[in-house]
Amino acid sequence: MTTAVAESLSYWSMTGPRHTSDLDALLHRVARRDADAFAALYDHTRARVYGLVTRVLRDSGYSEETTQEVYLEVWRTADAYDSAKGSALSWLMTMAHRRAVDRVRAEQAASQRESRYGAATVDPALDVVAESALAADERRRVVECLDGLTDTQRQCIEMAYYGGLTYTEVSQRLSANLSTIKSRMRDALRGLRNCLGVP
Amino acid sequence: MTEPTDFELLELATPYALHAVSDDERAAIDRQLAAAPASVAEAFREEVRAVRETMTTVSAATAAEPPAHLRAAVLAAVHPDTVLRFRWRTALLAAAAAIVVGLAAFGLGITLRPSPTPTMAEQVMAAPDVRTVSGQLAGGTATVLFSHDRNAAVLVMNNVPPPSQGTVYQMWLIGDKGPTSAGTMDTAAVAPSTTDTLTNLGNSTALAFTVEPGNGSPQPTGKILAKLSLT
Repeated sequence: MTTAVAESLSYWSMTGPRHTSDLDALLHRVARRDADAFAALYDHTRARVYGLVTRVLRDSGYSEETTQEVYLEVWRTADAYDSAKGSALSWLMTMAHRRAVDRVRAEQAASQRESRYGAATVDPALDVVAESALAADERRRVVECLDGLTDTQRQCIEMAYYGGLTYTEVSQRLSANLSTIKSRMRDALRGLRNCLGVP
Repeated sequence: MTEPTDFELLELATPYALHAVSDDERAAIDRQLAAAPASVAEAFREEVRAVRETMTTVSAATAAEPPAHLRAAVLAAVHPDTVLRFRWRTALLAAAAAIVVGLAAFGLGITLRPSPTPTMAEQVMAAPDVRTVSGQLAGGTATVLFSHDRNAAVLVMNNVPPPSQGTVYQMWLIGDKGPTSAGTMDTAAVAPSTTDTLTNLGNSTALAFTVEPGNGSPQPTGKILAKLSLT
């Protein structure tokens, strides 16, 4: 038996803007300690959260721990979510990214990065999901928009967003001045936002 | 260092939104925002919002399924008594057999209470040899965490529809002597998310599911809906 079919269904269901309000409703129920809503929220978002965390941490053990921490934080703080300030998925992904980055920096501080993160050029785990046509389409659209950035813009996003470096560290690694790096980051995000049509 | 201008503050909105600032710098930015003119703070927040929505869309490109066992761990952590819910008749019967003698004399109903000692589910999850297997069951998902050391398994079912009226799902432990019933589950027992415990795995090599008429069968008569390997 394989779980590919069931998992691709859940992956499918979390893609697409028409589900935004569903996640809002689920989060509001989670804030009221609704365990069934929490389970549904997990199923709708787990691939996004785990995928991003894994992309940053590149270690399945750390990624599982961090993913658990993310959902515990969701459970504890769902009542703080304010739909006027952004989408439910963005609230969740911001939390996931923050925790992944914090974990990377903690591991770096513990000087474990060299040993645990030696394979930093490993490709993201694209082989895990049996994708539906819709999910594959969305992924393709994002990859096209990423390809539309300049190499230096993409490098900034790679190092800062996925590598967990601060913009100051990025500027040091690239021997570029701070304002150049800040401009590249801003231009990269504006390019992506326009290309993806994010409101 | 002089206070940054509003422009310099706004320049930091993107790195701030990407978590690409140090903790100290983040705290400094938060302080400056609190003191900044409302229009600047508003522009900063709008930039942060847009960056985060954009990267949320970009996260479609990194989506990857977590291992199935993570689900049980995440859900158990926020709702620990889900693993204490006994829905299977075998579990009920086993528990009932142990306590019915003591309670019957007092005319009490059978009550299952969470035990202060680690539940079998908790013991399975903590076992060094715990393994996970997952499969599709009637359009939903059945995940089994099992430990041969503990001789037990935890079953988690998600979005498995209840069996039709007059039938039950029946579980079968398959060993070298063929299938042995591991309990049945009727319409009332199947919830959108159902968690249960199985004991006496013995030398079983698989757990199979069938639909059986009435209250179940001594041997499987329906076709096997799912078969999860326990090796």
